[in-house]
Amino acid sequence: MTLRIKVPVAITALAAAMAISNIGCTNNPYPAGESKRNVHYLNFGEDPKSLDPTFSFTTVESNVLDVITPSYFRYHYLQQNPVRLVLNLGAKEPQRTRTADGGEVWTFTVRKDLRFSNDVCFPDSKGRAITAADFIYAWKRMADPKIGYPLTGVFEDNVIGWKEYAAAFSQDRKGMADPNYDKPFPGVTADPSDPYTFSIHLKRPYPQLRFIMAMHHTTPQAREAVEHYNDEYARHPVGCGAYKLTSYTPKQRLVLERNENASPDLYPTEGDPGDREAGLLDDAGKQLPLTDTLVFDMVRESTSSWNLFLQGYLDETTLNANNFQQAMASNGMLSPKMQEMGIELRRAQQSAVYYILFNMKDPLWGGYTPEKRKLRQAVSLVLDSQEFIDLALQGNGTPAQWMLPAGIFGYDKDFKHPYRVVDIERAKKLIAEAGYPGGKDPKTGERIVMNIDCAAITAAARTQYGILKRQIERTGIKVEIRSTPGSIFRDKLIKGSHQSILYGWFADYPDPENFVFLLYGLNSGPGKPNYAYYVNPEYDKLFEKVRDMDDSPERLTLLNQMRDMAIEDSAWIPFYHPEVVTMSHSWVTNTKVHPIARDTLLYRKIDNNLRAQKQAEWNKPVWWPLFAFFSIAVAGAIPAIIVVKRRVNRKLRAGGGAS
Amino acid sequence: MLRFILRRLLQAIPTLLGVLTLTWFLFFGTASAESIARRNLSSKDPTPAQVQGWIKEHGYDQPPAVQLRKATVDMLMFKFGKSDATKEDIWTRIRQGAGPSIVVSSTIFIGTVFGAILVAVLAAAFRGTYIDKTTTIVCVLLMSVVYTVYVIGGQYFLSKQLRYGPIWGFDPSSGLIKYILVPSAIGFAAGIATEIRLYRTFLLDEINQDYVRTARAKGVSETRILAQHVLKNALIPIITNTVAVIPGLILGGLLLENFFGIPGLGSYLFEALGSNDFSVVRAMVFLGTLLYICGLIMTDIAYAIVDPRVRID
Repeated sequence: MTLRIKVPVAITALAAAMAISNIGCTNNPYPAGESKRNVHYLNFGEDPKSLDPTFSFTTVESNVLDVITPSYFRYHYLQQNPVRLVLNLGAKEPQRTRTADGGEVWTFTVRKDLRFSNDVCFPDSKGRAITAADFIYAWKRMADPKIGYPLTGVFEDNVIGWKEYAAAFSQDRKGMADPNYDKPFPGVTADPSDPYTFSIHLKRPYPQLRFIMAMHHTTPQAREAVEHYNDEYARHPVGCGAYKLTSYTPKQRLVLERNENASPDLYPTEGDPGDREAGLLDDAGKQLPLTDTLVFDMVRESTSSWNLFLQGYLDETTLNANNFQQAMASNGMLSPKMQEMGIELRRAQQSAVYYILFNMKDPLWGGYTPEKRKLRQAVSLVLDSQEFIDLALQGNGTPAQWMLPAGIFGYDKDFKHPYRVVDIERAKKLIAEAGYPGGKDPKTGERIVMNIDCAAITAAARTQYGILKRQIERTGIKVEIRSTPGSIFRDKLIKGSHQSILYGWFADYPDPENFVFLLYGLNSGPGKPNYAYYVNPEYDKLFEKVRDMDDSPERLTLLNQMRDMAIEDSAWIPFYHPEVVTMSHSWVTNTKVHPIARDTLLYRKIDNNLRAQKQAEWNKPVWWPLFAFFSIAVAGAIPAIIVVKRRVNRKLRAGGGAS
Repeated sequence: MLRFILRRLLQAIPTLLGVLTLTWFLFFGTASAESIARRNLSSKDPTPAQVQGWIKEHGYDQPPAVQLRKATVDMLMFKFGKSDATKEDIWTRIRQGAGPSIVVSSTIFIGTVFGAILVAVLAAAFRGTYIDKTTTIVCVLLMSVVYTVYVIGGQYFLSKQLRYGPIWGFDPSSGLIKYILVPSAIGFAAGIATEIRLYRTFLLDEINQDYVRTARAKGVSETRILAQHVLKNALIPIITNTVAVIPGLILGGLLLENFFGIPGLGSYLFEALGSNDFSVVRAMVFLGTLLYICGLIMTDIAYAIVDPRVRID
C-alpha cells in the first residue's frame, strides 16, 4: 500500500520541486529588474573599517568616501601626466604668506554654493549650507587624539597649537566631560569678516598641504552629524559630494545614491593626448555623476567575485594572480573567450614602491662601515627584479631603480641604480671584501644567514619569498624566511628586532617628500615609518630642506644627492613598482585609472540596456543534469521495488496457503 | 525535571568561565594589546599617544585580573559591549546575524534529517539488495570528501556552471529561495551521508529485535513493520542525536556563509578572527559554548520525553 503510493507521490514532489526551482532559479544576486536601472555594481574584498572621514585611510574606504566627502582640491581626472590638482570645494587658489618667525599662513576661501546632503541630523532633515566653520571643525577633529587621524605625525609638530589642543581634548575626557569643540584652535582660524575664509598657521613652510587639502580628512564636516550619530558616524558619513550614503549593511552591502544637494560639477573638457581618441572626452561638459546609484557588495572570496564578474553581475573587478592566469592567453593578451565577451583589461602603475630593507641596527646586516655597505650592495646585485616580476607577479610591475615611481617629481627615467644590475661575480667579490669569502664566516666556517621576516605566508607570498631566497643564495649566503603571524611581525618592526623585510609603500600624495621621508632619521623609532632605522645626519639635513621646498631645479638636485647617499648605504634595495590590473565589461565606459585619486567613480558611465541583455544571455540555467540525476535515481530504484514487491506478495501468498 | 535543568544550568557556569579564561589567555598570549591597537587603529603608523589612547579606551591597560574579570563575568551577565574594530554594538550584530544563519542552517538541518531518514528507511527496506549496497558506496564516497571541496566545488558546479543560484549575496526582500538554494544543497550533500549511515544502523538494530519477529509472525506486512514499529523505535536515538545540534544552528556555517556572502554569525566570527577583534571573538565563543551546553541539556530532556523508560531527577 505504502509502496504503491510512493511512486506517484515522488513524481508529484519532483514536479513541485521543479516548479519551485523554476521560479526561484536565477543566479542573479540582485532584485529582479534592478540591473536595468542606472546602477553601477562594484565589490570590495574587505569591509571598510570606518567611514569617518577623519579616520578612514585605506583604498577601499577612500573609494566610497571620496565621492561623498570631497575636499578643497581634487585631482584632474584625465590630465595625469603629470597629475594635477584642481579646485573642487575651494573658490580660489589658497594664499600663502610667510611670517616673521619663519612660519607660514595658508588662507583658503571656499565656494558659497555648498550644502550638506539631506539627513535626519539636520532640522527638517534638510542639509544646511556649508561655511568655513565646517572646514575648521574637521581640523579640530583631526587634532582630537581619540578619533585617530592617520597623518597626525605630519602635523603635530608643525601646526601651531596642535599638541596643546590635542592635550586639552584628552584632559576633557579624563574629567569624563564631553570634549570642548567650541574652544578656538590657534592653528586653524576663522576670518571674522568672511564666513567663507579660514587660515592654517604653520611653524614652518609645508608645500604638501595642498595635497592634504585634496584628501577626505579635510572635507567639511557637520557637527550635527557627528553629535547625532556618535559612534555610528563611522557608518554614516554626511558630506556634500556627488553621492550620499543611503544604506549600509556592514560586511554585506553599501549603497550610494545621487545627492540632490550637490553643487554643479561637470565632466572635464580637456585630457591627456590620446584621451579624445579613446572616447574619454565623449561626455565632456556633462553633469556629474554619470550613474545614479553605486552598489558596493562585499565579496570576500576572490573566487566568488571573479565568477560574479564573469557572469556579468559585477561591472568591474581587480585581478589577482589566480584570476589572472584564467584571464590571459599565453601571448600576454586577454584570452579569446574574454575578448569575445567584450571584456577590457587595463594595467596602471601605482604610485608605490616595493623594496627590501635592512635593519641598520642589526649587528650583521646593519651598520655604516664600508664592509657592511658592501654586504648589502652585494645582495642588491643579485636581486633580479624582472625575473621576480615575471614569475611572481605575472609581469605586472616595473623594476625600480629608486624609491620614486613615475609621475612623482624627482623621478628620472634614465637613472640606473649602480647596484641594481644583476652581477653575481661582482656580488661575490663584494661579499669577500666584506670579510665573508664564499658567503662564509671565516671564524666559524659557516655560511652567514640573512633572515627575511614576513607576516604569515599565503600561497602567492610563498612563491615570492621562494624566488627571493633562490636569487640571494646565488652568492653563497644562506637565506631564512622567518614567517610569523601578522601581529607579531608588526611588533618586530616596531621594536626593531627584524633583520630584513620585503615591504611596500603606497604614496599618500604625489610628492617626493612622501617617499624620501621613509629614510628620515627622526622617523625611526617605535611606530615610525623608517623601519630601516636608517640614520644619516647629512641625509636628514637635506630632507629637511627638501620637505619645506616647492618643486624647483634646486629641489631636484637635493633629491638626487639624497638618492646617491642612500644608495651607497643601501639600507634600502628598491625592488619594483607594482601595477594594478583591472577589468571591466563592454557596458562600462570612462574607465581611465588615476594613480592617486579615488573619486573616479564620478565619471563612470554604464549602458544598462546592454548589461541586462548580456546578463540574460550569459546566465540561462542548465537543466539537463538535474533531470538526468533524478531520472537515474528513479530508474535505478524500479527493479528493486519490483523485487521487494514480489517478495512481499510471495510471503502473503505463502501465508494464505497455510491458513 | 525543573530541578534537573536548574542543576545542569548551574553546572554550566564553571564550564563557561573556564572556556572564557582559556580564550582570553590564548588571545593575549599570541598578541600584545599594543599590536591589537595598531591593527585596529589604522593602516598607517599611529602615534604612540593614539595607541595608548586606544588601549585605554578599550580597557586593555587595566591589570590582567580586572581584564579577566571583565572578559568572563560581563559575558555571564550578557554584557557583550562594543566591537573593538568597528565600535558596533555586538548584541545588535548577533541579532542581525542570527536570522540568516538560522534560515540557511535550519534548511540544511531539516533537509538532512528528513532526507537521511527517508534514504535510511529505503536502505533498510532493501537491505542486502544492490540499492543498499549502492547507498553504502555513495555514502562512503560522500563522506570521504573534505568540506571545503563541497563548498568550492558546489559553488563552481551549481552556481557557476549550472547557474541555479547566485554565487554571492543575500537579500530577503528579493526572494529568499534563490539565495539559500545552492548553499543548502551543498550543506545537504556534505552532511547527509554520515546521517544516513548512522540512521541505517539504528534501523537495523531495531529490525533484528524480537518484537519485529513477533509482528512478522502475526502477519503484519513488511512495509507496516518498517513504517510503524521499527521507525518509531529507531527515532529515539535519532531524536536524541539531532536535538544536540539545534541550538548550534544559530551560529551557522563559517565557510559556507563566507563563500556565499550570507551575513550570518558564521561569517561574523570569521571576520572577527581575521581582524583580532577580541571583544567579538569572546562574545561568540561564549555564545557557542552556551548553545552547546543548551544542546546537551536538551538532549537529556528529549531522552526523557521520547523514551518512557528514561527518567531524570
